[in-house]
Amino acid sequence: MEKILSKDRLREWVDALDDCEVLAPAFADSVWNYARVEAETVIDLSHTNTINPPKQFAFPQREVFFRFERADGVPRLTPTLPDPRPTVVIGVRPCDGRGMPRNDTVFSKEFKDPYYWARRERLVLVGLACNQPHSPNCVCQSVGGAPHAEEGLDVLMTDLGDRFHVKGITAKGGELIARGGDAFASLQAGDPAEVARVHAAASSHPQRPVAELGTVAEAIRARFDSPLWEEMARHCIGCGICTYLCPTCHCFDINDEVTNPNHGTGERVRTWDNCQFPDFTMHTSGHNPRGDLGSRLRQRVAHKFLYFVENHGTQQCTGCGRCISECPVGIDIVAVVDRVSRA
Amino acid sequence: MTDNSYLPQIGRIADIQEETRGARAIKTFQVEFPDSEGFEHDCGQCAMLSIFGRGESMISIASSPLVKEYKQFSIMRMGRVTSAFHDARVGDFIGVRGPYGNRFPLADWKGRDLVFVGGGVGLAPMWGALQTAVAQGEDYGKISLFYGARTAGDIMYKADLERLQGAVEVQLSVDAPEAGWQGYTGFVPANLMDKAPSSANAIAITCGPPIMIKFVIQNLKALGFADEQIYTTIENKMKCGIGKCGRCNVGKDYVCTTGPVYSWAELKDLPQEY
Ligand SMILES: Cc1cc2nc3c(=O)[nH]c(=O)nc-3n(C[C@H](O)[C@H](O)[C@H](O)COP(=O)(O)OP(=O)(O)OC[C@H]3O[C@@H](n4cnc5c(N)ncnc54)[C@H](O)[C@@H]3O)c2cc1C
Ligand code: SF4
Ligand code: FES
Repeated sequence: MEKILSKDRLREWVDALDDCEVLAPAFADSVWNYARVEAETVIDLSHTNTINPPKQFAFPQREVFFRFERADGVPRLTPTLPDPRPTVVIGVRPCDGRGMPRNDTVFSKEFKDPYYWARRERLVLVGLACNQPHSPNCVCQSVGGAPHAEEGLDVLMTDLGDRFHVKGITAKGGELIARGGDAFASLQAGDPAEVARVHAAASSHPQRPVAELGTVAEAIRARFDSPLWEEMARHCIGCGICTYLCPTCHCFDINDEVTNPNHGTGERVRTWDNCQFPDFTMHTSGHNPRGDLGSRLRQRVAHKFLYFVENHGTQQCTGCGRCISECPVGIDIVAVVDRVSRA
Repeated sequence: MTDNSYLPQIGRIADIQEETRGARAIKTFQVEFPDSEGFEHDCGQCAMLSIFGRGESMISIASSPLVKEYKQFSIMRMGRVTSAFHDARVGDFIGVRGPYGNRFPLADWKGRDLVFVGGGVGLAPMWGALQTAVAQGEDYGKISLFYGARTAGDIMYKADLERLQGAVEVQLSVDAPEAGWQGYTGFVPANLMDKAPSSANAIAITCGPPIMIKFVIQNLKALGFADEQIYTTIENKMKCGIGKCGRCNVGKDYVCTTGPVYSWAELKDLPQEY
């Protein structure tokens, strides 16, 4: 399904989704981030990219698995499976869209993650194609995507100046557009060519190459024990920003949080965790399979460009560039891959 | 089991045996499932055990799958969760989820000699396989066990080891000379070399501290064991047990689902991240 939505009628569409939680980018505290669309919100889709990817809407930073309490000495567990309203995220950039099917794979495999899927099944991603890369660290095309890639999105919008071209990609996306009713118009004769022109123009912007993508996995395998890793990781401060902001990093911790020690009440909680922390893999004995910075940088890069490829046939990096732009010490995954590939 | 992998069943501690004492004491727990069906498991698999309010730990299921009434776990006191287990009493309730991981391919080993080589609490992960092989003794050739501990007081499953003599050739060792000690004095790999079990038609299974495993494998190879005849288990740090939380990986493998059991033929090609 393809439609045209005049920019001044976007709000009409959103208002028709009154049973949904709707989120859109908002600029606050000098960054773009997703915020709930309220009655008075003026939706502004001129954003670069949001500081957080949309993975949080299926995999929140903190998730309570269940509450526990003691009744007559016996523990009683109350699972807290989420039951969210349908959630529509507007303005998702295509790199982040491509992240979601990768997360879907991780949270499926042999064991379906019920918490992830309870949220994910109610999640609708409305993408917005990039008319030009908004950062020099955007490398979506270099990792097999595009500024107008559809993978993972339910709807893709393309900015045509005073109007959006809106394409339903999944059945879910088609239904969402249908709910907008009269807010949408049919395509005019010149529209398909205009969309194609905008997409082609966006793709023609040069991006940094991620080495020779097809050979990266082999290069990492071949240089696994190279001293390069430690050298490139030496100034890492282990803050973990690179992975917390990544659209596909999914590692987590599980801990018990006690609320009332006298009654044995508390919660078992999942929180985001991070392969750049030494504690991530350190055994109680002190033994640490990835005890140095080099092995941890290698883990982050190899997971994206070697292990995920071996397990699932595709890279786990979708080229959003956040880990490069936001790293406080300038560690640059594209440069790392490049050096390893040339070594 | 429910389809919520994170939700444990409630188990009841039916028995506690003190195996060894000291800072790294080991206790053995028998756990029953009074209100749920429990679960079936294979030799080599593990379960996520928890004390509510303290957290979870991955522990090998030490009982044989042939035992249906309870599951046995032997736990070394290490940190937060394992210490909470050491403070627990008979009748206490715990959380259990699982079973997780792959298994020792016992059925494929029928007709062969089995050489078990363990150190410290490393007897626990292979105990279920050893018990099962003994119970089905006519299916296997000679079964031997090389087991060592720091001192005689650190030997676990003492009564069981005595009971097994006959069905199993038990070769015990302690690290340093000790008054009254009848067995071998020295490290496990040395005892193995000393007794030199035949590698012809045999399978070796080794669990214990990483440094012991390294030398045991070296010595097994010197005794003529091929990579395919040697099996071991890996214990990387684990949280989810179901291949999602990302910390237990060795290369592309999540040990919690692809392991913990590996043949040396498989393991030697993986990165040394364990
Ligand atoms: C497959 C497997 C089988 C195991 N079998 C046994 C067994 O039969 N008997 C036994 O005594 N121990 C076994 N262990 C080790 C046991 O899981 C750890 O000693 C235990 O989790 C430490 O937890 P803690 O809370 O006491 O320590 P803390 O350091 O206080 O706990 C921190 C958390 O880190 C994790 N952790 C820390 N070290 C390890 C580790 N080496 N392995 C896994 N997770 C770790 C746990 O999630 C733990 O909750 C096994 C580990 C694995 C991976
Ligand atoms: S953001 Fe940079 S400094 Fe922080 S952990 Fe990642 S690589 Fe290291
Ligand atoms: S324990 Fe979570 S991935 Fe293995």
